[in-house]
Amino acid sequence: MSKIKALVVDDSKIMRSAVKRTLDQLMLAEFEYIEAMDGEDALEKFSHEIEIIFVDWNMPKMTGVEFSKEVRKMENTSHIPIIMVTAEKSMGKVDTALNEGGANAYVTKPFTADQLYTALSKYIDDNGNFKLGAGGGQKKSFFKDMLNLK
Amino acid sequence: MLPQRLSEISEIPDLMLDKVVLSVQNTFASISGDAPELVEQVNSLQPMNGIIGNIAVFNPEHTLSMMLAVPKETAVSISVKFVGFELEFESDDIGDLIGEISNILAGEVAMNIETIGFRGQSSLPTATRGSDLRLFLPNKPPSARLRFVTSDGEFWLYLALYESQRY
Repeated sequence: MSKIKALVVDDSKIMRSAVKRTLDQLMLAEFEYIEAMDGEDALEKFSHEIEIIFVDWNMPKMTGVEFSKEVRKMENTSHIPIIMVTAEKSMGKVDTALNEGGANAYVTKPFTADQLYTALSKYIDDNGNFKLGAGGGQKKSFFKDMLNLK
Repeated sequence: MLPQRLSEISEIPDLMLDKVVLSVQNTFASISGDAPELVEQVNSLQPMNGIIGNIAVFNPEHTLSMMLAVPKETAVSISVKFVGFELEFESDDIGDLIGEISNILAGEVAMNIETIGFRGQSSLPTATRGSDLRLFLPNKPPSARLRFVTSDGEFWLYLALYESQRY
């Protein structure tokens, strides 16, 4: 079974670790993580093999929204979910990230496993399987009941 | 809510201070599970062994600068709640942690003071670790020194409100 390639972008190593740890705890799938410390670094590390992106907003050199816009300008990237994981909480910021930045979901820091799961829920089918990317496919069963998630 | 010229006021408006206190309580409650209690406004902070997170919420007219002063014991205790294990005080990670908490606090402050007419954005955080740290605030701009106590220990938040620099 291939692992899902996830790009995790945050200038805080602690937060990158928190995202990775929470995803692993959710057991939605097996992930292979590529880490980047800002938008510029993330653009350099981006490839069309990336299947999902978790990106902070407020970073040096290039913000998460600027990075998301650059990704969306590229061909064949509209299917890649971009999850904004940020301390920015105002409705204006959420609107900017989703509508201008092209992000698919918005999670505010500090997040819980439930909040991350909710953000990812549209990529989980009725049987609790994680589905991603153009190739799609079931990656790993997700036992909702075991985790007591609604 | 704020006058064009801050020289017209000598203190941070109570309405803004209340929103900042609420933001501190929300931020730390979401991290540690319990809201810190505002104990008092203090005149000055004794020399501290710990970490200071610096961040600002600003717009073209005004800047609200925040210094989050966290003693060593409090920082280490918070690290257990935030990352699941105790970070070494001497590690770079503890600075990263307090910087990130400052960032989360600034996001909460920005959201809450927007409701009273201050629409701003957060700067990037910085953090400084050291011993015998003394915090100084300039006398002129409106400022406040707040002391909080939580189950993880005590910490301070220094605030200064000034007119944004124009170049």
